[in-house]
Amino acid sequence: MTQGRRTQRGELAQLRQLRWASLVEGTTLVTLVGLAMPLKHLFGYPQVSAVLGPLHGLAFLAYLWIVVSTVAGGDWRRTEVARLFVAAFIPFGAFFIAVLLRRKEAVLAGAT
Amino acid sequence: MILLVIKALHLSVAITWIGGFLAVAIALRALPGMALTSLLRWDRQVTTPAMGLVWALGLLLALRGGWFPAPWLLAKLSLVAGLSMAHGMMTGRLRRLLASTDAPSSGFLPVLAPAIVAAVVTIALLAVLKPFSAP
Repeated sequence: MTQGRRTQRGELAQLRQLRWASLVEGTTLVTLVGLAMPLKHLFGYPQVSAVLGPLHGLAFLAYLWIVVSTVAGGDWRRTEVARLFVAAFIPFGAFFIAVLLRRKEAVLAGAT
Repeated sequence: MILLVIKALHLSVAITWIGGFLAVAIALRALPGMALTSLLRWDRQVTTPAMGLVWALGLLLALRGGWFPAPWLLAKLSLVAGLSMAHGMMTGRLRRLLASTDAPSSGFLPVLAPAIVAAVVTIALLAVLKPFSAP
């Protein structure tokens, strides 16, 4: 396998990892905001947010780590990097990021 | 007892993570390609999973210990998050260095290893002394 092909495979794997991390982070955020918080504040049932809160914290940290690792190892525009970070704070933002990443994967896969 | 076991595991994986991270920080300045390939493999298989375990076990410890939201814990978490992001950046640079002939930016590489050690010492002091806590 050539060096270029190996590099391309490595970058594709990195993008795929980032897409999955964004989906996990986005899912925990939506569940936390859409289910756990109403259960806690409207129905006095805090157990779900007590479990989901820390889980989302871990997913959030893991996502940010993979974003930093991915952009430090590739050519990314500043607007793309900003979008990756901002999406982590907005419910459903991660799902738009997943589409962006899927597009980047397709471009990279068709590059050679 | 469980708290002590979690604490021991947390310390073990923290040592593994910081050891691997320091190795990357030093090697990026000095080592040839072959050694960097082994280091990247070690980072993927050992150092990064150790970092994930540090987060998970640390969170478990803080929850079981009832330490949220003590100021010393928040300061410690900020340092750990900063170390984690710096580690992510170094892993990315290492990957890039191995994929191409680009030299990694040397801006903060010379001070990275001392900065890691300083952060670790501060984290240890915060965890052991728990300053700013109610008596």
